[in-house]
Amino acid sequence: MSKQMTRHADTQSISVSFTLNGRSQEIEVEPHELLLDVVRDRLGLTGAKRSCDVQVCGACTLLVDGRPVSACTTLAFEVRGRSVMTIEGLAEDGKLHPLQNAFIEHGGFQCGFCTPGMLLASKALLDENPDPSEAELKHFMHGNLCRCTGYKKIIESIMAAAKEMRNR
Amino acid sequence: MQFEKQVEIHVPREKVWKFIWDIDRFIACVPGCKDAKTVEEGKRYTATMVEKVGPFKVEFPTTIEVLERAELSHIKAQASGADNKIGSRMKIDLDVNLREQDNTTVVSFVAGVDILGKLAALGHGIIKRKADQVLDEFAQAVKTTLEGDN
Amino acid sequence: MLKRFRLEEPESVADVSELLGRFGDSAKIYAGGTELLLAMKEGLVHYERLINVKNIKGLGEVAGDNGTIRIGALCTHHELENSPLLQQKLPSFVKLEQNVANVRVRQAGSIGGNICFAEPHADPGTLFIALDAVMVAEKSSSKREISASDFFVDAFETSLATDELLTEIRIPTPGANRRSAYLKFGYLERPSVGVAVALTFDSAGVNDVKIAVGCAGPAPRRVTEAEALLNGKSKDEAVSLLAQAGAVAGRASEAISDLHGAQDYKEHIVGVLLKRAFNSIVS
Repeated sequence: MSKQMTRHADTQSISVSFTLNGRSQEIEVEPHELLLDVVRDRLGLTGAKRSCDVQVCGACTLLVDGRPVSACTTLAFEVRGRSVMTIEGLAEDGKLHPLQNAFIEHGGFQCGFCTPGMLLASKALLDENPDPSEAELKHFMHGNLCRCTGYKKIIESIMAAAKEMRNR
Repeated sequence: MQFEKQVEIHVPREKVWKFIWDIDRFIACVPGCKDAKTVEEGKRYTATMVEKVGPFKVEFPTTIEVLERAELSHIKAQASGADNKIGSRMKIDLDVNLREQDNTTVVSFVAGVDILGKLAALGHGIIKRKADQVLDEFAQAVKTTLEGDN
Repeated sequence: MLKRFRLEEPESVADVSELLGRFGDSAKIYAGGTELLLAMKEGLVHYERLINVKNIKGLGEVAGDNGTIRIGALCTHHELENSPLLQQKLPSFVKLEQNVANVRVRQAGSIGGNICFAEPHADPGTLFIALDAVMVAEKSSSKREISASDFFVDAFETSLATDELLTEIRIPTPGANRRSAYLKFGYLERPSVGVAVALTFDSAGVNDVKIAVGCAGPAPRRVTEAEALLNGKSKDEAVSLLAQAGAVAGRASEAISDLHGAQDYKEHIVGVLLKRAFNSIVS
């Protein structure tokens, strides 16, 4: 009935093979471990933030198979066989992603706390819709909250990146 | 949260009064209440209150203290307890008045219910509704039990 | 942080039912986890076992045949908002799904989990009632249908038996003149009020009106009294009766005063949304 489980005295361990930022990764997790804790505390990737802890704010956003998820409320074993991208994997070969460049250029970073989530969520948006209207952008991004400054610069940054990516 | 309830029981006041102090029978009328124990006759009791909203269950080990008592007419009591597993506390201030008319006892009570802690995450409205249901069921159970004795 | 629990990963409905029967209240079905894990993290509930039902095949599809749309309970909100069949046949449901919580919740959350958790401020149940949806509940040896209006008992409570699994939601495929709308309003993360209307609108006026209200009270409710007011009326007659129907629906919502709004406020909003939903359908 059960699969991929080895049982110890009172803990249950699940072998999880997945792709993390393009490289294959093997890890043993217990069922109750959350993806955010595993990524931050066990794999040392601290870009994703714990903030609201209830799937409202988007600071812990990771991409799983290209789609945004709240790592704070995702059980780690769920990434079995999947591809996970954290903010540390957005730049390729030391070269920033156009979204990152646009956030720098257009002042989208602000205090920086929501930024990893903003960048990954907007990457997912542009991957499925390279030419979003501002309304579409706002609809997709409305679950990523900025609590320091506001959204104007963030929206400008994403729109600029979209344009840049279309013209490449 | 303040609740006011009134129940008319078709038995004489002495009988209602006696019933109230028969702790085992009385507690049996409180939905979710069990394991009643007398610590000090007429003054202090303990019991366990278990309540449920869907999958959410709380278990309050409860102490009931009788603060005022006027023979056949009035009781003021306070029940309080904490569920440490869930991290919630509750306190009920109860003011009970009895009067008799035409062989019927009118029991009116005012209950001030406070629920504190994580349970509050369920929402004030849901908890209020639940408390209201519990009090209604309690009043009905007292009536049914006493009238059934006749 | 979550407390430790064991994970069971059955691959059939019969196995789920058996586990539920064996472990009772100490086990809980886990699908998307968007509601359950929040309650567990908050420490409001703890289970010794979670039963992951996502390995059961055949519960994740949307299909249509013989006048019925069948929605597998494991479909995520994201899958439903992108279903071509639903986009064609049930645009009101697609619009509802597009606006459930946020993109991450829609990615993880399943429609079955949403319905079974019965959080009072969830959207789909209200529209399901207006769409005459039927919930299919299965256990080892049997299968039964529960109408949406009988499914939601109270806040966080459904009419599912402890060893039953919701496997499918069936909705009659709307005919050519059958239309529906769901509107919600709120200022917190979850809606304060949701109103669903479905009706047949043609030269004979408005008929077979279905009205449901949700979010305001403990569980979504059908409002037959408001339906009766509008049934069989011409469009103009019905429009003139909307205020009355709205007041009836407001009372029927069993609105609760809480952070989402006071009782009278919610009742008022029910009326406003009913009017808007109705007008959006017949205009």
